[in-house]
Amino acid sequence: MKKRKLSGFTRKYLAIPYVVFMAIFVVLPLLILLLYSFCETRSDGSLSWNFTFDNYKTIFSPSSVQMLTRSIYVGLLTTLICLVVGYPVALFLADKKYNKSPVLVMLFMLPMWINFLLRTLATKAMFEAMEVDLGMGTVIFGMVYNYLPFMIMPIYTTISKIDPSLLEGAADLGASPRKAFVKVTLPLSLPGVLSGITMVFMPTITTFAISGLLSGNKISLIGDFIDLQVVNSLNVASAMSFIILIVIGISMIVVNKYDKDNTSTGGGLW
Amino acid sequence: MENKKYILELKNINKYYDDKRVVNNANLKIEKGQFVTLLGPSGCGKTTTLRMIAGFEQPTEGQVFFDGEDITSLPPHKREVNTVFQKYALFPHLNVFKNIAFGLKMKKVEVEYVNRKGEKATKLVNLKRKPVEQEIIGKNGEKTVKIVPFCRQYKMVTTKDRKGNVTTKKVNCYKAFIEEKVRRALKIVGLSDYENRDVNSLSGGQQQRVAIARAIVNEPKILLLDEPLGALDLKMRQEMQLELKSMHQKLGITFIYVTHDQEEALTMSDTIVVMRDGKICQEGSPIDIYNEPKTAYVADFIGESNILDGVMPEDKKVIFAGVQWDCVDVGFEPNQKVDIVVRPEDWEVREKGKGILDGKIVSSIFKGVHYEMSCIAGGYEFIIHNTIESPVGSEVSLYVDPDNIHIMTKELYANDKQVEFLSNTTLDLYGGTYDFDPTTLFDDATYDGDNDILTIDGEETALKGKKAVVRFEFTDVEMTDDEMDAPLAANVESMIYKGKNYIVCLRTDNNHHIFADTEYLWDDGDRVGIAVKPDRFKLIRMIEE
Repeated sequence: MKKRKLSGFTRKYLAIPYVVFMAIFVVLPLLILLLYSFCETRSDGSLSWNFTFDNYKTIFSPSSVQMLTRSIYVGLLTTLICLVVGYPVALFLADKKYNKSPVLVMLFMLPMWINFLLRTLATKAMFEAMEVDLGMGTVIFGMVYNYLPFMIMPIYTTISKIDPSLLEGAADLGASPRKAFVKVTLPLSLPGVLSGITMVFMPTITTFAISGLLSGNKISLIGDFIDLQVVNSLNVASAMSFIILIVIGISMIVVNKYDKDNTSTGGGLW
Repeated sequence: MENKKYILELKNINKYYDDKRVVNNANLKIEKGQFVTLLGPSGCGKTTTLRMIAGFEQPTEGQVFFDGEDITSLPPHKREVNTVFQKYALFPHLNVFKNIAFGLKMKKVEVEYVNRKGEKATKLVNLKRKPVEQEIIGKNGEKTVKIVPFCRQYKMVTTKDRKGNVTTKKVNCYKAFIEEKVRRALKIVGLSDYENRDVNSLSGGQQQRVAIARAIVNEPKILLLDEPLGALDLKMRQEMQLELKSMHQKLGITFIYVTHDQEEALTMSDTIVVMRDGKICQEGSPIDIYNEPKTAYVADFIGESNILDGVMPEDKKVIFAGVQWDCVDVGFEPNQKVDIVVRPEDWEVREKGKGILDGKIVSSIFKGVHYEMSCIAGGYEFIIHNTIESPVGSEVSLYVDPDNIHIMTKELYANDKQVEFLSNTTLDLYGGTYDFDPTTLFDDATYDGDNDILTIDGEETALKGKKAVVRFEFTDVEMTDDEMDAPLAANVESMIYKGKNYIVCLRTDNNHHIFADTEYLWDDGDRVGIAVKPDRFKLIRMIEE
């Protein structure tokens, strides 16, 4: 009797706690957010059930649109710099000839062990000590500094998983080291590159505090805007969050489309 | 210019990894068009040798000649050799066609051009950029000839379909050239119609064929194959062996093949090179290697054999297993110790008393064509292959044709080792501290153990710090199960069965060899201790500082 009962228990039931958690803390809040973005708040703080597009209208005011484009610009630029700086680093770290111990890889990860606010404040203090004017440049620097490891890590993982005999094979067939890189290493590391891009781009366009701290509150991005609006009007903040959700959703679809061709190879983070 | 005959020549090649010598003074000449197999157990340096030919490794010392030209420091992509890798190394992001076309697209060709000074010179360009002539028909029908890169050259191809419609198409010559070559390579390996398949969806055997096609499409002067059939099952392997052999005959290029499978080597090769511990032991045709092995090791590695210790009392006579046999070998010193090899199929089983050595059949197994019988005679065990079965328990007599007794000088028959004395009764051998008996080590020596006074030839001597070469016989080495029970630990590297006893080759942690003669069977890789009784050490000579 007891045995039969057990056989009814399959592995999928183990997922129930997480599904419940997701429903309560992810799906439900998102629905509430959606609801809020189409409603107004009365002066006493309670929610009025009047359906309205006013929140979205506020967002599409020229100043907000400018902020949105600025955020996307910062996100794209940060991602690009991270890629340009991170790829050679990952390539170097994955080369057993130069990097014989895991210590170097750990060193690149080490900044992540420190709270990002502390890191950013320290960066700010450094810039002030060096008398660098705070502005767009310093914001981008702070972003790159914070998110570079997220670019290096997935690329490093994919490159180190590439079978070294493939490069020997390419050399054997007459490819110079440079050709072998372009024809073998680069295409096989693409899944890692795409992982890196999403892992940097997604958080950078929504990040807050870094822009405010490193620009002396001169430049504010969507993250800062939402942070501000949560106090002013929860409804506008909700609407803005949804806009970002859509932007990220679109970028994910684009990235995944490129990723599809390579799912069978490489070892991206997903 | 006598090198010209050889497509490849290795000259005094040595290769060290850190301190370990993996290839030991290898000299090899390979003739054009031959199928050469490097044969040896794993770790014998055969793959390293192949990788040095391909250019993936640099020899620590020595030179590699290709067609008489020194290519020792030439990087792999500039060498006219192609490799079929053990694990195929196909590009997972490319399909079958692109994998095979890879080498063609990388190909460089020599072209003449006029340099800045106006002189004619040659340079290497990509095949794609090779200048070719292209006829261009102008608007008015006039023909002009222009020089264009190969990838821009086109031709008009007219085709007739089944209905008789004639269509004319513009075909890119470069693409057509590559397509034709790839198709031909695929046809040779028997994979036509697989062009667009994803390499990951292919079976092991098919991937192997693609790997071969990818290498031969470049028409290399030498094709290197690194245990290419290792991952295939037996049937597939036998099939591929024959296919490779016929491919070799068809293509006419030199094949250098690496394997640890002696059967594979015998089946396919024109020349077999047997390697051991980084050294080339013997090279020759399969028939030579099988029939005339130079050492007991080669005999043991190639085919089955009965290997015994023997003594040559005089020319054309040999004593082994306690009786004297006739043989055909001459030129040995009287009573020289030798190794005897008799192939199992060379035994003649006669009625009791009518052969040379009487014995008893103790087991018999039917093997399809022959019976594999085991015979105990004179205290030794012999393996016999015969198509006629002698029943288990029957008394027989063994005879062997004098021509079929293979005699080879022993490489070693005792351990002669350099040691350092630590005191009057202890010595250091490869880091292990052994006790020895000074009175048996030295003639005319007395030793007063209480006062630690050693007298040799009436003279008081202190041995500490002195060095010497000492000898202990193979039979003096005792192997212990627990490495802690003996001064020195080692791994069992290989064994040769001598009918009654095993000669075990032991490798110490610092890569020195010690041989032991034991009745017990050990396994390769077993960890053992090496013990030697104090009175077994014999002095060969002292080493003067």
